[in-house]
Amino acid sequence: MGKTMAEKIIGSHTEEGEASAGDTVEVSVDLLMVHEVLGARIMPVLDEMEVDHVWDRSRIFVVNDHWAPAPDVRSAEIHRRNREFVRRYGIDHFCDVDCGICHQVLLESGLIRPGDLVIGSDSHSTSYGALGAFSTGLAATDCAIIIATGQTWLRVPETIRIDVEGELSPPLMSKDLILRLIADLGNDGANYRSIEFHGETVERMSVESRVTMCNMAIEAGAKSGLMTPNNAAREWVRSRAEGDVGVEVLPDRDAEYVDTLHYDLESIGLEPYVAAPPSPASGRPVSEFEGIKIDQAFLGSCTNGRLEDLRIAARMMRGKRVHPGARMIVTPASREVYMNALREGIIQTLMEAGAIVTNSTCGACVGGHLGVLGEGEVCISSTNRNFPGRMGHREAQIYLASPATVAASAVRGEITDPREEMTR
Amino acid sequence: MSRTIRGRAWVVDDYIDTDQIISGKYLRILDYEEMARHALEIPRPGLAEQIRPGDVIVAGRNFGGGSSREEAPRVLQVLGIGCVIAESFARLFYRNAFNIGLPALILRDAHTRFNDGENVTVDVARGEVRLEERGVLLHCEPVPPLMMRLLEAGGAVALYKMRTTERVSKQE
Repeated sequence: MGKTMAEKIIGSHTEEGEASAGDTVEVSVDLLMVHEVLGARIMPVLDEMEVDHVWDRSRIFVVNDHWAPAPDVRSAEIHRRNREFVRRYGIDHFCDVDCGICHQVLLESGLIRPGDLVIGSDSHSTSYGALGAFSTGLAATDCAIIIATGQTWLRVPETIRIDVEGELSPPLMSKDLILRLIADLGNDGANYRSIEFHGETVERMSVESRVTMCNMAIEAGAKSGLMTPNNAAREWVRSRAEGDVGVEVLPDRDAEYVDTLHYDLESIGLEPYVAAPPSPASGRPVSEFEGIKIDQAFLGSCTNGRLEDLRIAARMMRGKRVHPGARMIVTPASREVYMNALREGIIQTLMEAGAIVTNSTCGACVGGHLGVLGEGEVCISSTNRNFPGRMGHREAQIYLASPATVAASAVRGEITDPREEMTR
Repeated sequence: MSRTIRGRAWVVDDYIDTDQIISGKYLRILDYEEMARHALEIPRPGLAEQIRPGDVIVAGRNFGGGSSREEAPRVLQVLGIGCVIAESFARLFYRNAFNIGLPALILRDAHTRFNDGENVTVDVARGEVRLEERGVLLHCEPVPPLMMRLLEAGGAVALYKMRTTERVSKQE
């Protein structure tokens, strides 16, 4: 019987060299990413384990991104501990508070290649599936054990295959598609499973659009979101990786899937999608929410804070103004994204429209800083989670949407179909 | 290892995500005792103060969805929660709970079968839950062998140390 991408990649990282869905296997990790969880939670676990070494300083990537730069003493202390760890063990890869959001900077680093097995101390570590790597998030204890041994155990997931055909043209974005897919799957519809995204729509996508989809696979509970590399992904890796460009892993033709879903974007008539609070799985067409007044429009995060996201927002907002009843906050996902947006004039356009542009950080998305919501406030956000309290007060309302919908809504001060602003 | 847990059952809804178990704004608190005062404050304000050692959280579908944060099971454990029983768990919460030695039991229709605050006795190894006042016995799904090994060892760190010690003594 044939194998899925998850089975193949996990299998190639075991001593036995193969694995099948349902097996629990010990795997060697190619790369571990840790952020503030290191200083806050992992270091105490390492102390408890009496570990005073790291398995491989060239395979650990440390990032200070969630509360960057530190808005308070507690964050500053966590950042200080991370820096101390990096110095003490001579960790090769460190992005301090000036760098950006972990998933984006890791993708930019060239350290992720097709066929790799990557673990991150963050649930959105599924993002790297966009380059054909198996990646998933684990928490402090598992990360501590990986730091010590380079190994962890995984239950090999069954896979849901999703094929998507049809044109996804602006202002429709991959965010609309993934919100629709999560709504159909439900927020635990892919629990314990991996998702493979295939089809011509995915094949044609930019790396940025692909990352958005794999990033949000976790919102359906998935262990990983995987795509076979397309030309954009190959070019991305080739231009960034030093030498080794990885091994592309394709699923076998007779791979066994627990479910196979087909989407034809024309026949389903995909519209811009919006997920109302309190769940990313509550997505519905934007028409059902039009007219809801907003206090804040947030454009950023590991989900949608990349150059194409900022670009479409600037395109929609050029010569317009953020509605006087609302504020717009733009947080580029990384320094690289920020610099490229500066060169393209995107930052200027957004600033002229009245947006606030912050440094690169997780910031408002985790309710940390630079855009936290107050009681009863309504935010339309390009981020990934709208759980109660996620971006601040528990009574704040978060509507998840694409960067295009966020920009259109910022201009009108209410939730707006981006197709209306696009034509004006 | 004693795995009989006696306490009261505190019932929450379906889809209690990790942000509701412990909100992201408290993750910068380094001391777990201090952080745990805010556990479950969104769905059940004031509950954290009522919890006593041996109490049990009973939940519906997909308990612990969302973030990978180990703080979610940890704050429940710090409050004294002996185990979590749910219709289903998000896989990260499930893994993290056993990693720190907190049992997570799967029980069909879990949150409709308990009265909030009633006395329960849980035998984790057998997967049995007794509702003391009503004389009802409920059967949970068996805990998978790997998870049972983690519990018996006292969590992943203890298991790691046991294995390391074994390796060292073999080499000697």
